[in-house]
Amino acid sequence: MTSAITLNDYLIVSGLLFALGIAGVIIRRNALVIYMALEMNLNAANLALIAFSKFNKLVEGQILVFFVIAIAAAEVAVGLAIIVALYRRKQTISVDQLTTMRL
Amino acid sequence: MTPVPYFDVLKGLGAEVILTLTALVALTLDLASVRRAEMSVRSRTIGTTAVVGLLASTLPLWQQLNGPRMVLLGGTLAMDDLIIFFKLVIVALAVITVLISMDFDVGRHVGEYYAVLLFGAVGMMLLISAEELITIFVALELTSVSLYILTAFHKGELRSQEAAVKYFMFGAISSAFLLFGLSYVFGVTGATGLQAIQDAVKNTGGLAMSPLLATGLLFTIVGFGFKVAVVPFHLWAPDAYEGAPTPVTAYIATGSKVASFFILLKVLFIGFAGLQGSAFWGNFASGWTMLLAVTATLSMILGNCAAIVQHNVKRLLAYSSIAQAGYIFIGLVAATKMGANSVLFYIIVYALANLGAFGVVAALSSRAGGDEMQNFDGMARRAPFLSLLMLIFVLSLAGIPPLGGFFGKFYLFASAVQRDAQHFGLLWLVILGIVMSAVSLYYYLILLKHIYVIDGSDQSPIITPTYLNVALGLVALAVVALGVYPKPILELLNNFSYSVIAGLVR
Repeated sequence: MTSAITLNDYLIVSGLLFALGIAGVIIRRNALVIYMALEMNLNAANLALIAFSKFNKLVEGQILVFFVIAIAAAEVAVGLAIIVALYRRKQTISVDQLTTMRL
Repeated sequence: MTPVPYFDVLKGLGAEVILTLTALVALTLDLASVRRAEMSVRSRTIGTTAVVGLLASTLPLWQQLNGPRMVLLGGTLAMDDLIIFFKLVIVALAVITVLISMDFDVGRHVGEYYAVLLFGAVGMMLLISAEELITIFVALELTSVSLYILTAFHKGELRSQEAAVKYFMFGAISSAFLLFGLSYVFGVTGATGLQAIQDAVKNTGGLAMSPLLATGLLFTIVGFGFKVAVVPFHLWAPDAYEGAPTPVTAYIATGSKVASFFILLKVLFIGFAGLQGSAFWGNFASGWTMLLAVTATLSMILGNCAAIVQHNVKRLLAYSSIAQAGYIFIGLVAATKMGANSVLFYIIVYALANLGAFGVVAALSSRAGGDEMQNFDGMARRAPFLSLLMLIFVLSLAGIPPLGGFFGKFYLFASAVQRDAQHFGLLWLVILGIVMSAVSLYYYLILLKHIYVIDGSDQSPIITPTYLNVALGLVALAVVALGVYPKPILELLNNFSYSVIAGLVR
């Protein structure tokens, strides 16, 4: 009766999360939403890392996840600043409008 | 559990520590003493501080030279002569970048600019000595985040903000791909050290036996492909190069490229040593040489063809550097000791020539009113010395003898021909490379035509500061020297690269 969650289940969820993130990046036009989708990609990788760590009885994956969380926070700070700077100049953050430079 | 020898770590990372401290000094100095001063004075003062710090950071490096191979923190960071040599290359590139920046208007936030530039250099140096997945990822992010900030530094200019958003988005997605790939590699091998991964890979039975490992390898290469800007992961590069302040473009195109290629070489040649497959004509087998051969082909064709139609000099150089990344991949596809040597040699030549070219563009475009081709009309009369330097850099990029670019390309192609020499397995890639080099000559000569042949409306002479002329002149001298007399560097690389190719079957 006890159906334990296996490594494969974790990997399927993480793969789905990654695919959703990539789909979000490709489909959405708002820079902020794209950025949220990107965060989802990182978290998909985090989930895979933690699952591997747990099932292989290794600690390195979990250490890497801590670093990734810190780095993602740093990236948020820089990324939001860049998006705000763009908004100040252009009054829009739709990526369809980023057409100053062509070909 | 043995205690961590923090003192040894500090000593081993002396250069990085000095650079970090210099960055903090630059921030404080700008805030505390020269904020009220004139812009040029501020830029000179902080820039000089950065140069002094960079030069000081080489002292610990010289001291460690010729020492035994050393690993810190359980193998996460390594120190040997090859690594130290490339750290010195990074310092040299950063010094020239700072000198170019001192002559360039980088906006009001001078202290922050140089501090972030130095943090970027720290990231690149850590990346070069990293031999473990966690360290590689952290160092790569330190480099990338610094460069995102620098790209957005022209606050008044829309191009700069747009470039930053694009660079940031593509950079973040490449990090996600890389991390996802690394997580699978870690999951299959159960190791994070490159050497340990190599040992574990041998026991997994190769790519065919482990789809998880194949996915990990693919995603890792996609992640690095974004960082070194090869087709089809190149879309950010032209915009980021064009929009970023020109000294920053020089930094992105050289420093981060050198560090990224170096770590890619290590990851492929050490970590994935058992998975190279085969890219020989008629004898393809899945593995990373296959993937690299495909991206190299696309990069050389698309980079060179797209460069032909460009009107902006920075954008032209961006497409040319996409093509150059394609040439460098040929050396990686060879997957031999000679291939590794040729890649290491070529990234030095490429970085010097590109840094010089962007340096000249930075110095001239800020005085000529723009970085379009037309702005460079008749430049040979207005700034004869810098025009001559530009000639050297551009011809080196095109691969004209006797300049460094020619010998570097020759060495790359030779290493690919020598691999599987009986059946000429990689000859198809070499032939494509040579044909595309001929195509590249066309757009390089168009640029030179604008500088040397076409007369511009403005004839007033352009005067650039002496320190910049001297610095760029030295870079040009190095480019010439590497072409005329490459022997010392080649011997150096030949003796050093044992640590990189140790895992490869020759």
